[in-house]
Amino acid sequence: MYTLKPSFSKTLFLKSPLLRSSFKPQFFPYTTQISSPCSSTPLSFSISCKLKTSKDGKSSKSLAKKIVLSEGAPAVSEDGAGNGEAQPKPASKGGGGGGGFGGLVKRFPRKVLSLLSNLPLAIGEMFTVAALMALGTAIDQGEAPDFYFQKFPEDNPVLGFFTWRWVLTLGFDHMFSSPIFLGMLALLATSLMACTYTTQIPLVKVARRWNFLHSAEAIRKQEFSESLPKASVQDLGVVLMGAGYEVFLKGPSLYAFKGLAGRFAPIGVHLAMLLIMVGGTLSATGSFRGSVTVPQGLNFVMGDVLSPSGFLSTPTKAFDTEVHVNRFYMDYYDSGEVLQFHTDLSLFDLNGKEVMRKTISVNDPLRFDGITIYQTDWSFSALQIRKDGEGPFNLAMAPLKLNGDKKLFGTFLPVGDSDSPNVKGISMLARDLQSIVLYDKEGKFAGVRRPNSNLPIDIDGTRIVIEDAIGSSGLDLKTDPGVPIVYAGFGALMLTTCISYLSHTQIWALQDGTTVVIGGKTNRAKLEFPDEMNQLLDRVPELVESSLSKQSDAISG
Amino acid sequence: MIFSTLEHILTHISFSVVSIVITIHLITLLVDEIVGLYDSSEKGMIATFFCITGLLVTRWIYLGHFPLSDLYESLIFLSWSFSIIHIVPYFKKHKNHLSALTAPSAIFTQGFATSGLLTEMHQSEILVPALQSQWLMMHVSMMVLGYAALLCGSLLSVALLVITFRQDIRILCKNNHFLNKSFSFDEIQYMNKGNNVLQNTSFLSVRNYYRAQFIQQLDHWSYRVISLGFLFLTIGILSGAVWANEAWGSYWNWDPKETWAFITWTIFAIYLHTRTNKNFQVANSAIVASMGFLIIWICYFGVNLLGIGLHSYGSFTFSSNL
Repeated sequence: MYTLKPSFSKTLFLKSPLLRSSFKPQFFPYTTQISSPCSSTPLSFSISCKLKTSKDGKSSKSLAKKIVLSEGAPAVSEDGAGNGEAQPKPASKGGGGGGGFGGLVKRFPRKVLSLLSNLPLAIGEMFTVAALMALGTAIDQGEAPDFYFQKFPEDNPVLGFFTWRWVLTLGFDHMFSSPIFLGMLALLATSLMACTYTTQIPLVKVARRWNFLHSAEAIRKQEFSESLPKASVQDLGVVLMGAGYEVFLKGPSLYAFKGLAGRFAPIGVHLAMLLIMVGGTLSATGSFRGSVTVPQGLNFVMGDVLSPSGFLSTPTKAFDTEVHVNRFYMDYYDSGEVLQFHTDLSLFDLNGKEVMRKTISVNDPLRFDGITIYQTDWSFSALQIRKDGEGPFNLAMAPLKLNGDKKLFGTFLPVGDSDSPNVKGISMLARDLQSIVLYDKEGKFAGVRRPNSNLPIDIDGTRIVIEDAIGSSGLDLKTDPGVPIVYAGFGALMLTTCISYLSHTQIWALQDGTTVVIGGKTNRAKLEFPDEMNQLLDRVPELVESSLSKQSDAISG
Repeated sequence: MIFSTLEHILTHISFSVVSIVITIHLITLLVDEIVGLYDSSEKGMIATFFCITGLLVTRWIYLGHFPLSDLYESLIFLSWSFSIIHIVPYFKKHKNHLSALTAPSAIFTQGFATSGLLTEMHQSEILVPALQSQWLMMHVSMMVLGYAALLCGSLLSVALLVITFRQDIRILCKNNHFLNKSFSFDEIQYMNKGNNVLQNTSFLSVRNYYRAQFIQQLDHWSYRVISLGFLFLTIGILSGAVWANEAWGSYWNWDPKETWAFITWTIFAIYLHTRTNKNFQVANSAIVASMGFLIIWICYFGVNLLGIGLHSYGSFTFSSNL
């Protein structure tokens, strides 16, 4: 008897109506053998379909189409094993033929669905996304239009055609938020959904069914096949079970599988990708961001800093919280390099009550009621000095840009008559809060002092004590409702990618007299599979004559 | 000081052992397969593995953090990954063609890492604030392991492409030859030749059979290794995203390095998808994998050499990004 063997899943891919109608009759042996509770309705349905197809070719096409249209959508959501997996593909074919206007409207989504689930299209989309991203890193992002006028001039286009007009009209100056890129991602997402719906779920439905093969030829046709003389299928079952297979035995036939999760996992990968995309969209539309540089000792209100990023951004009560920067300080290595930045923050609610206090640092943000405060930057706010015993004075430090990215701050203390047209004075420069370099009126190096050292320095008759260096902390604030969803997607993606590495292996065996015919196939680890099988089969014990007769009795009985 | 001496010694030992291993490989390739030699080359690779492991451990001890903070250290880790990819199948008794690729890859990375190009980077002992996190180990080790596996897999695909195209060209030549022969010879000679041709073709077909089998094996191994690398790359990118959300305030910044890692991921996702469809030829997926090979190098080196974005840890002490 020829049953539905899983290689039939291949026929799903062959877009030929002939093949489809030819496999329909094969449902009978299968559905009658394994009593599945849901298979009764699809069974009757497929009978009618088969009868119609056998009549004549011309009317069968339209009939099949009609059935598909009315029956196709629920078939997939249904848990029925017999019908669901066959439906989506024929449905897409049904859309190909001509029909009434009403049919066209109904068919349209299916047509789009089958178009979107097309693998070459999906691959093309991925290539496009990759190319756009590469372009996005090649073109400097977020510059002023003038920059692009100079970089991509019209009289000397890159590659002969690429000018600033291209960059600006296509939005390549802000690639990762440009309509083209986002549209491509959205298209990819719909392809993902369509592919999961029309291809992957049906594939799993095929794979999930366990079925027996009842003919030795069918077993020998598998990718791996072997026959063991003087063996019993029961012993094989025990060996397979020991190797972690799920084994089903029915009379002389055996079916075993392992790693079914490996079949399911790619769906999980796709769903996780979609989850990440949903989370990303939520992040883009519903978050608040802001950054602020606060000198030590000052405070700010969260709501003043945070600005919405999209139409879904709604402020919460926590936005009224006031943040006070108690202290900003740095840790240093012995060599003088910065080890870590710390900011001691206090959070006060509207009544002035402290609700939270934490010292944040890079990699250790503060989280309060959905708002996260990050340590991202720093600056030199002021220098507190004592001049000739007077003071203390606060001198504001100005950031200086010299060649290179390194930070440099400077301030100037006028000496003598400050009303004269060319004021002279002492300059103080600092790279960090650790040490201040002082220069005299002529610009000559005068000395280096550490704050808090209380060691005075005399320059041009002025005695200066550097009391303190006041830094300001650069903080980033954000609320992001998408993060939990994105993290869930990340977790799911990691897990399902790992599971996807597993190979789904199926083994069939049949007791043929004293010989056991074994066949098997696997979807990923194809080359290791024969070795693995041979090792397993070596462990199957050989039967001696006396037990052989018993064996055959047991089978016939 | 003792640590740096030890490190120096280990570097040189591993480098020279890998060179010897490659020489042995060449000898077995050119002369004949001598089992003893093959075995010794495997032992050599194991020795290399332990040397590089020792190197990483010494560096770990005297720096106080896992040595993955700059290009030099990540290159050492890359060659360590190559050697571990080499060794795992050896212990599982799988004979495969990976060894021919992993050993040279290991020597190239090791050689490049220890060469003068990167000497001034050797002594960087500080870890910038952004890198001081438990995520460093997870993220970078997964990324580099992923790169190593993907590089191996895509190299196998490149080998597959080379063999396939050479075969195609040969067959083309053979066909032309055959046609010329059959037209130029007269009837009797042709009959005589017929047998020869038959023999020739059968010989050819046997060779073609082995070649096809070899191509199939290459294809399979590159698929398996790339899937493994893809897994590591996924975990690496995602853990990097989680880390970025802790350190930089957003899980995705479209930073050049991030973007290129994502491009790499996309390319290998394309590769895995081409594999699911039987209609695509083996060569097509191999072409995709070879593209991936180039893109990994852009991602791994190109972005760092340009020194753009948040991932540029070569030259920085007081960057505005902390």
